[in-house]
Amino acid sequence: MAGLLECHALSKNFDAVDAVVDANLEVAKGSVHSIIGPNGAGKTTFFNLISGEVPPTTGRVYFKGQDITGLSSHQIPHVGIARCFQRTNIFPKLTVFENVWAALFARSNASALELIKRVSDFGEIKDKARKIISEVGLEKKLTERAETLSHGQQRLLEVAITLGGTPTLMLLDEPTQGLAPEATQEMTQLIQGLAGRYTILLIEHKMHVVMAISHLISVMHFGHFIAEGGPDEIRQNEAVQEAYLGTRR
Amino acid sequence: MRDRNIYLIILAFIVIGPFLQPRVTVTEMLIFGIVAVASNIMIGYTGMLSFGQAMFFGIGAYVAGLLLKAGMPLIIAMPAGILFVLVLSIAVGAFCVPRTGLYFICITFAFNQMFYFIAYSWTDLTGGEDGLAGIPRPSLLDDPVSFYVFVSVVFLACIVAMKRIVDSPLGLIFQTIRENPERAAAVGYNVKLYKWISFTIASTFTGLAGTVYAMLYYIVPIDQIHWLKSGDFIFMTLLGGTGSFFGPIIGAIGYIWMYDTFALFWGRWPLLMGVVFVVVVLYLRGGIVELIGKVNDRYQRARGAP
Repeated sequence: MAGLLECHALSKNFDAVDAVVDANLEVAKGSVHSIIGPNGAGKTTFFNLISGEVPPTTGRVYFKGQDITGLSSHQIPHVGIARCFQRTNIFPKLTVFENVWAALFARSNASALELIKRVSDFGEIKDKARKIISEVGLEKKLTERAETLSHGQQRLLEVAITLGGTPTLMLLDEPTQGLAPEATQEMTQLIQGLAGRYTILLIEHKMHVVMAISHLISVMHFGHFIAEGGPDEIRQNEAVQEAYLGTRR
Repeated sequence: MRDRNIYLIILAFIVIGPFLQPRVTVTEMLIFGIVAVASNIMIGYTGMLSFGQAMFFGIGAYVAGLLLKAGMPLIIAMPAGILFVLVLSIAVGAFCVPRTGLYFICITFAFNQMFYFIAYSWTDLTGGEDGLAGIPRPSLLDDPVSFYVFVSVVFLACIVAMKRIVDSPLGLIFQTIRENPERAAAVGYNVKLYKWISFTIASTFTGLAGTVYAMLYYIVPIDQIHWLKSGDFIFMTLLGGTGSFFGPIIGAIGYIWMYDTFALFWGRWPLLMGVVFVVVVLYLRGGIVELIGKVNDRYQRARGAP
């Protein structure tokens, strides 16, 4: 198998609604692969199928050649897939440091005995947490409660928690959602900095961001993948234009 | 406030307490202090509200009481009671923990009622409505002072052990679950498993407190396993404040003090408790600890003002 992540004929229907239909996708290792499409196209559901939030109706997901279909959401991080959410999904009353620390600790495969050591006994995790927090630019907020951060900072923390999962593949669901232009710029740079070190599967609505950072773009429409290609190809693609602008009559 | 200072205050309370209140009252405060702190591991740290903690308290008391009556030494009776509750809470937890919110409250409540009626109807074993009477204390603990010292040591050991738990990664995992169970799962924690662990820890310490309680009045009254007692535990915890580790101790002390004081001069004292509960829930969500903080802020500001 060539791709790091391969989805074969993934489908999900909620009662009568076909949210994702026969979706095939291959994500190459080290790439930034974006999924775009109008609202309600099924992008987030597609993510949920990969990350175990929702089991697929049919189809399989392979990661590093290994079948991960049907693993529950708390098992997925342990194979090396970490996700961030469209709606900010952090631990509001914990500090920035604790937010990231908890994510790192989850992946450290601690023994039962280590569970009752002191949090301060884990020097290596502490250093990693600080490093990740500096990388996203929140080092000044280390001991602040997450709920006191601005929306933009919370989005950055969301990415930091995802990094804390020490993943091979990151699933980023609209990281720039609701961000002001400057903050969007900051987030774009952060993702560009992560590209190469991590394989990134990205859902994004802001086209300038998508076009700037993606190697490959897949377009989703009513649950189907209707096109795939590099940024230039996608820009020219008629099916994509129709999906976004409606059919020309 | 630093932990060390808080421990000093607790020690001072243990020493001075018996001079301010009857010794049995202070003993009871310490026993229920363990229960309130244990309950808070679930309520305050993990975000689970169990309405069935009296079943573990009562069963711990019954098991230890029965073994003591059968002539077993305390060194066997107490661990046996704790172990029994540990195993029982693992089993009961298996049914309760997969439920969340109101359903969790209801099913813990239902289990509590079930064990209450077993205790109520199994008269031969538990004494039924009359309670399990005639529990002996080991001769070493038979005078009031040595029993008080014993309870104090158990209390301190439990508090230190539970503090260690909440300061550990395990405690942080509990908090991530309280804050955001979906996210806790998405970073790789098995949320149900950790809720189960939290449930078991809280219940076992509650049962431990029960084994000590059995010896306090030489009897286990049936109301110690009634669901109303579960409500009392929650009240103590909320009264003290779920936001801090030590807060519930103040809650237990305050609750028992009110109970003892009001009951003396007014038959309808539960009405007053109700008023206090309403005030706490409406205006003082952080409990007495929040009140102390607010008063302290006022004082500091007043002192700082020219």
